[in-house]
Amino acid sequence: MHLSRRGLLMTAAALPLIPRPTWAQAKDSLIMGLSSYPPNIDPFLHGGTAAGTVKLCIFRGLTSFAESGSVQPELAESFEPETETTWVFRLRDALFHDGSPVTAEDVKWTIETVAAETSTAYMRSEFQTVTSVETPDAKTVRITTATPTVTLPLWFANFNMPIIKKDSLENPIGAGPFTLKNQDRGVAIDLEAFDRFYKPGLPKLRSIRMVAYADENLRVAALQTGDVDLIEYVPWQSMAAIEGDSALRLTTTNGPFMGLGFNGARGPFADPKVRQAAAFAINRQDIVDAVFFGRGAPLESIPYEVDGPFFNEDLSTHWRYDPDKAMALLAEAGMDGGFECTLLSTSQYGMHKTTAEIVQQYLAQVNIAVTLNMPDWATRQALGGRGQYDILIDGTTAESPDPDGLAPILDSTLSPSSSRSYGIPATRLHELFVQGRAEFDQDKRKAIYRDLELELHQIVTKCGLAWRSQGYAMRANLDGFANLPGSLTFYSGRTLETTSFA
Amino acid sequence: MAWVAQRIAISLVLIWIVTTIVFMAIHLVPGDPAEALLTQGGMAADPALIHQLRVDLGLDRPILVQYAGQLGGMLTGDLGQSMMDGAPVTGLIAQRLGRTLELIAAAAVLAVVFGLPSGTAAALRQGGWFDRLASGIAAVSMAMPVFVIGTLLIMLFAQQLRLMPAGGYVPFLQDPAQHVILLAMPAITIGVGLIAIVFRMTRAAVLDVMTRDYVRTARAKGVSRRRVLTRHVIRNALMPVVTVLALHLGTLLGGTVLVEFVFNWPGLSGLLVDAVNARDYPVVIGVVLTVSILFILLNLSVELLYGVLDPRSRQT
Repeated sequence: MHLSRRGLLMTAAALPLIPRPTWAQAKDSLIMGLSSYPPNIDPFLHGGTAAGTVKLCIFRGLTSFAESGSVQPELAESFEPETETTWVFRLRDALFHDGSPVTAEDVKWTIETVAAETSTAYMRSEFQTVTSVETPDAKTVRITTATPTVTLPLWFANFNMPIIKKDSLENPIGAGPFTLKNQDRGVAIDLEAFDRFYKPGLPKLRSIRMVAYADENLRVAALQTGDVDLIEYVPWQSMAAIEGDSALRLTTTNGPFMGLGFNGARGPFADPKVRQAAAFAINRQDIVDAVFFGRGAPLESIPYEVDGPFFNEDLSTHWRYDPDKAMALLAEAGMDGGFECTLLSTSQYGMHKTTAEIVQQYLAQVNIAVTLNMPDWATRQALGGRGQYDILIDGTTAESPDPDGLAPILDSTLSPSSSRSYGIPATRLHELFVQGRAEFDQDKRKAIYRDLELELHQIVTKCGLAWRSQGYAMRANLDGFANLPGSLTFYSGRTLETTSFA
Repeated sequence: MAWVAQRIAISLVLIWIVTTIVFMAIHLVPGDPAEALLTQGGMAADPALIHQLRVDLGLDRPILVQYAGQLGGMLTGDLGQSMMDGAPVTGLIAQRLGRTLELIAAAAVLAVVFGLPSGTAAALRQGGWFDRLASGIAAVSMAMPVFVIGTLLIMLFAQQLRLMPAGGYVPFLQDPAQHVILLAMPAITIGVGLIAIVFRMTRAAVLDVMTRDYVRTARAKGVSRRRVLTRHVIRNALMPVVTVLALHLGTLLGGTVLVEFVFNWPGLSGLLVDAVNARDYPVVIGVVLTVSILFILLNLSVELLYGVLDPRSRQT
């Protein structure tokens, strides 16, 4: 074919005029817009939610979270408790990306690597209770813990606890549905289908390109223009526009939540009555409306999954807005004349900033004069961990749908961290968490976690403010991708294995 | 040559001072890389883990020891490794710097291509309709923040007309056409302000030169209007224009951050912002060092260019 110079120039000039979706990508390749470029994709470090999505594609654990929210077998074909302190996992025939089989030895090595003394693995503390890992044969792993641990299968579904090939820590080899093809730091991560993934017919996509769009408006614009097929962290102000676009689809769930933390080591908030007063003084609907454009729900008690078996309807509105009650509690604490305090939040994220401003306004109505401290996120983390605040705004999610997944957030007897309130003695709360994770009887567990909810109402190591609707948006012809319910929303990347274009 | 050597020596001292100030400043603010690395997604890690990672990264050593290590590395050309993922800092900077320079160069080309002729034309017909129109547009362009221009371009050309991608980056070798398309809107966004600056400077300089005696003399000698313009007016008017353009390009090295953010263009500014947020000390120092050196080199180049445009300046 002869192409004249004029023809070539005209073709080049017309390139931008070609409707984008027709030349964006083949239908078996997906482009996903991440909310940030993962700081790392180390299998055992918590690299954030974007990193979690990538890791769920490359690695797999012994278990995973199903679309119903329950724990399901993954690299393990089955798992069951042998005794109250021993769990047995039987492995399926799965291959690592280098073609070698996933064996019990690899599982044992992974657990020991995570639990090692100099390990910096996110799940290290959990595995300190493991007293032995036995491998009776290549497909069986027996894990014994010092105390009964009903929650142990949950640990292996965490995206920070995948199984990697023995001795591959330097260049981790996983057994997920996609292999890591290329990384362009700050730009994109390219994944390619692993053709020997252990689930027949999966993954359905040939490749995935994960592109980081830190600006939420650009992330939405990229979806609307067809530059990407799927985005995470849909900004709340854009959800209505996406719902109104027939070419797009939005899926949301209430799972992450905003909360108020306290410094119990100093000042007025050392008194539990003052903490209770603060919890009653805030009209949470305003936070839902102003921060999340009505897409969320007030959180007026412990953040148990609303559809889960541990949710207590009768206790769920305990902290409903009641300024009179707040004033009465302050009077009981001898603080009815009011006081001044500092609130630590961050100006780096709009939802943290605006939540802080609303809390400030409501506390002012019960004579608590709040001075806002809104540094960048890294400074906020450092100040929070050191207890350099009176009250603190937090946005987080439970580790799992099980109530035990709230322990890292509510159990202030654990080591100081910016995720937990500082310096509040909460022995009873801690004991209930310990009892709950050691109890195998479901009814008894429900009773324990009801007591825990009542205890939290008294001690208020953290008070919930608002559930926030967490959304993924995608092209309407994308099938098989699911926004996992509640606190599991950030595990939705697992379903990229079943995702395809219709 | 002695003058150049003196300038280089002063520049090296300046670079050392800037690096030291930045090193001390970033170590003084709260937050550290170990904590940033381990406390992602709102969930904080155990302090024991943070301490272990601090030891692994060498952050438990006295600050003066860390400073000495950083300076020693710089002298041997080793800027160290990123604390986020262990990537060599020099590699990261080389990759990102090229992208930022490309953006700035594209904007500079636009500024010269559109700013110089329009500024000259406006000066030659001072007070005419073109002069008034172009001066008005230039005033508005200079007053508009880049993120407003960028957002408007995205809304119009990407979201409404669907003619251009909203933003992003593809390496040139991977897809040349897509690379140029993705470069267009951020380059125009930066270019709008630069065109306005070059237009105004050119217009003022041409007006000024046209009143000079040598122009009048040339005209009196019967030199053609075209020759007077090209040989005398434009050549002499270029000096202040080049100075201002060069100074603005230097500023843009650290100032493209908003444009890079709005268009998801992964340049040097974005690397610096990410590194500061993550308290990634070696990367912060590396980027500041690079920008300082480039800024100094740019100024040096401007002075050398003076020598070409105005031979009299070589004697001073």
